Amino acid sequence: MSVSEVSFWILATMCLGGALVVVVTRGMMRMTLGLGAFLLGVAGFFLYYGSPFLAVAQVFVYVGGVLVLILLAIMVLKRDDTGRPQLTSRVDIATALVPIIVFVFMNQALSPVGEELGVVLGSSDSVEDMRMALLGTMLPQFELVGVLLLVALVAAVAIVVRKERS
Amino acid sequence: MSIVTLTSLLFSIGLFGVLTRRDLIAVLASVEIMLGAANIQLIAFAAARGEYGSGQSLALIVLVIAAAEAAVGLALLVALARRSGRTQVEELMEVEG
Amino acid sequence: MDFLAEAPYLAAVVPLGLAVFLFLFGRLLGKASAWVAMLGPLTVLLAGVACAVVVLGGEASAAPAPYVGGMVSSATWDWMVQGTMVITIGYAVDGLSALMLLVVGTVALMVMVFSVGYMADDPGFARYFTLLSLFTASMTGLVIANSLAGIFVAWELVGVCSYLLSGFWYRKPSAANAAMKAFLVTRVGDVGFLLGIAVLWQATGSLDLAEMTAAASGVAAGTIAVASALLFMGAAGKSAQFPLHIWLPDAMEGPTPVSALIHAATMVAAGVFLVARVWPLFEASPGVLQLILVVGVFTAVMAGTAATAQNDIKRVLAYSTISQLGFMFAALGLGAWEIAMFHLTTHAAFKALLFLGSGSVIHGTGTQDMREMGGLFKKMPITAVTWIVGAAALAGIPGLAGFFSKDEILAAGYHEQLWVVVLLWAASLFTAFYITRATMLTFFGRPRGDQHAHESGPTMTIPLVILATLAASAGYLATVVAELLGEEAHALEPPVAIVSATVAIVGVAAAVLFYRSGLKADDRLAGALDPVWRAWEHAYWFDGFVQRVVVRPTVVFATVLYEVVDRFVIDGIVEGTGTASRWFGRGMNAIENGDVQWYAALIGGGVIALLAVSYLIVMQDQLADTISNLGLW
Repeated sequence: MSVSEVSFWILATMCLGGALVVVVTRGMMRMTLGLGAFLLGVAGFFLYYGSPFLAVAQVFVYVGGVLVLILLAIMVLKRDDTGRPQLTSRVDIATALVPIIVFVFMNQALSPVGEELGVVLGSSDSVEDMRMALLGTMLPQFELVGVLLLVALVAAVAIVVRKERS
Repeated sequence: MSIVTLTSLLFSIGLFGVLTRRDLIAVLASVEIMLGAANIQLIAFAAARGEYGSGQSLALIVLVIAAAEAAVGLALLVALARRSGRTQVEELMEVEG
Repeated sequence: MDFLAEAPYLAAVVPLGLAVFLFLFGRLLGKASAWVAMLGPLTVLLAGVACAVVVLGGEASAAPAPYVGGMVSSATWDWMVQGTMVITIGYAVDGLSALMLLVVGTVALMVMVFSVGYMADDPGFARYFTLLSLFTASMTGLVIANSLAGIFVAWELVGVCSYLLSGFWYRKPSAANAAMKAFLVTRVGDVGFLLGIAVLWQATGSLDLAEMTAAASGVAAGTIAVASALLFMGAAGKSAQFPLHIWLPDAMEGPTPVSALIHAATMVAAGVFLVARVWPLFEASPGVLQLILVVGVFTAVMAGTAATAQNDIKRVLAYSTISQLGFMFAALGLGAWEIAMFHLTTHAAFKALLFLGSGSVIHGTGTQDMREMGGLFKKMPITAVTWIVGAAALAGIPGLAGFFSKDEILAAGYHEQLWVVVLLWAASLFTAFYITRATMLTFFGRPRGDQHAHESGPTMTIPLVILATLAASAGYLATVVAELLGEEAHALEPPVAIVSATVAIVGVAAAVLFYRSGLKADDRLAGALDPVWRAWEHAYWFDGFVQRVVVRPTVVFATVLYEVVDRFVIDGIVEGTGTASRWFGRGMNAIENGDVQWYAALIGGGVIALLAVSYLIVMQDQLADTISNLGLW
């Protein structure tokens, strides 16, 4: 096994384990830790595929932002029981069929493409490429996302403080 | 296991969480998993095609949207918790038309 | 009066307008509605006279087949237009129509005058005259129509009028049932008529009589034969020919003048008229003519014998009518349509007279049963004398109307097929016998029953006298009728005429001798002829036969259809639709449970379904190609 393969499997295990913990676990803190592991795994994959800038952004925004935000929410609400996933009820077992079939479809449809995707190491000027893209062809999207982020933040504040005002 | 299978699997696990978790915080976390899976896929394709610019930019945009979604979702969750003291999905059943 | 020859459609329009008028204002007018209604047949009669004058004067324009005697006036309008399919309606008055106008107008007028007295105390007086007007209009329309479509419409209209008038006393169950029976039995024939029209339309592309006749020469003989056989089916239903004759005796439940007008003189003769109207078609189908001949002769003999043993005076006349119509069809079958029309004309006169006479008797005595009559000659002299004139005309006593027309039929048979003549002589013998029997039982002998019979008033006796005059003299009009129909008049055939006269006189004499003793003769005959007499009395039990073989199986079949097919299959499907919808609704209701995650799962299911469809359509490889082609790889 080459180094790249080893690192791929480590990252894959991290992501899958974290995701499964999030979906299955009962404890709120364990779920948050699982999510953290998953997000770090994603950052690792970004690095693996030659996008160090995005990897860093991922760590900052998610691990440093969203994850902390979720922890804060948990602390604010003073709760540690997320409730069991309702795997016992018949409706939920039926519901589980939906993701299973989605997986089969996605895998089937994409695998001919995926098999040709080898391991590619990142190029050093990837940030330069992204800068050119964001301020060039993708400028409108970039601006839109900025506006969206602003609206989201204002909305979040508005939703939370509404109660006090009324 | 190819990267495609991995991301498909991650996406499906996230979807399963969204459909079955009863706690809204967990549902939000599951959504993050789905978005993360999509992002890995994007970057993987970008790397394979050598077009880092557009691929990374798209991933960055998804990242930002995910952050915004998490912020608004958690705000809603807090508001909901204030109203009923609970953050279970059942609280949303009142919206039933 | 000339304008009536130029616009003969007025003969149909005026009575129709009067019918509408009386329908709206009849109750206000009361008794006066009768005199208003009479304007209708008067118009018809005058139009008939005007048209006949034109034809006889040779002023009529040339007419294409099947019109005869020259065209007085005609017009055609588009009625229904559907693309290239055009159904026209219109009128065409030729010699045949003129003759029928005369017959219809005269009889209708006499019947209306008679009805003023006969129906005087009836609460439905105005309704009665409304229906008579409607009938007059329909019958006139029937004889002047220039297309099979028009004839069929009028044909059904007279059928409806017959239904309404037979069942005039609709509170009486027997009358309502009789009307229904008449309607249904004639409907059997009308199905054939309608099919015949369809066949002709398909074959010739037109329902207009002239166009149809012209096109028919290019049509296969078999098709024409089928069409004419089907038309004859309709004619047999309307004209009460075997086996569709069973409705006519029952239709006697209606008021007697109605029987005189509809069930003796005009409507039941419409079948004969129809065959004469489309004569070229029948002429081209010798097989069908032979069928008509057999049916006619059989009916004439069968009904003639049945009439012998009836006790109800109206039923005697009903069977007599069936028998005489059989004579007419026999004439048609022999190819002598103009003789059939001549017999139709004379028969209209003397049979209307006999029916009105019986009406007068019924009015005077309050009964229809001849066993409760007897000795009425002195109490009702005018009725009795006119009746005897009509009876003699029917019996075929030389010099009176019936003798001439019947003799012409027999002469035609004498030249064509001898067996016909022999059987018709037998029928004539019975005719003379039964009508004399009815006369003897009604007017002579000891009075039976304790009614205080009285002569009827002038409104009833005057029509009797007029019709008696016609019944006595119509036979001498043979030349006029033949000329109207554009045919040569037939001279008397001495050997046939002598035998016929002998037969008639023998029949009359036998009945007179027999029935001097009144009812006892019936008992003696019944005893001597036991099974036969009872068969006659019940008209060969044909009604019961039809009841058992046709009606009851139909009812059983309909009951089975209702109980099994309708109740289980049809209702099951209908109710099943509702039940299935309810179940489906409940199933859908379970989905709408308000659980947002459940909704999300459904969305996921929808996505899967779409993917599955596209996957099945595009197939795996092509889908991969598509993704590659998008430029991802």
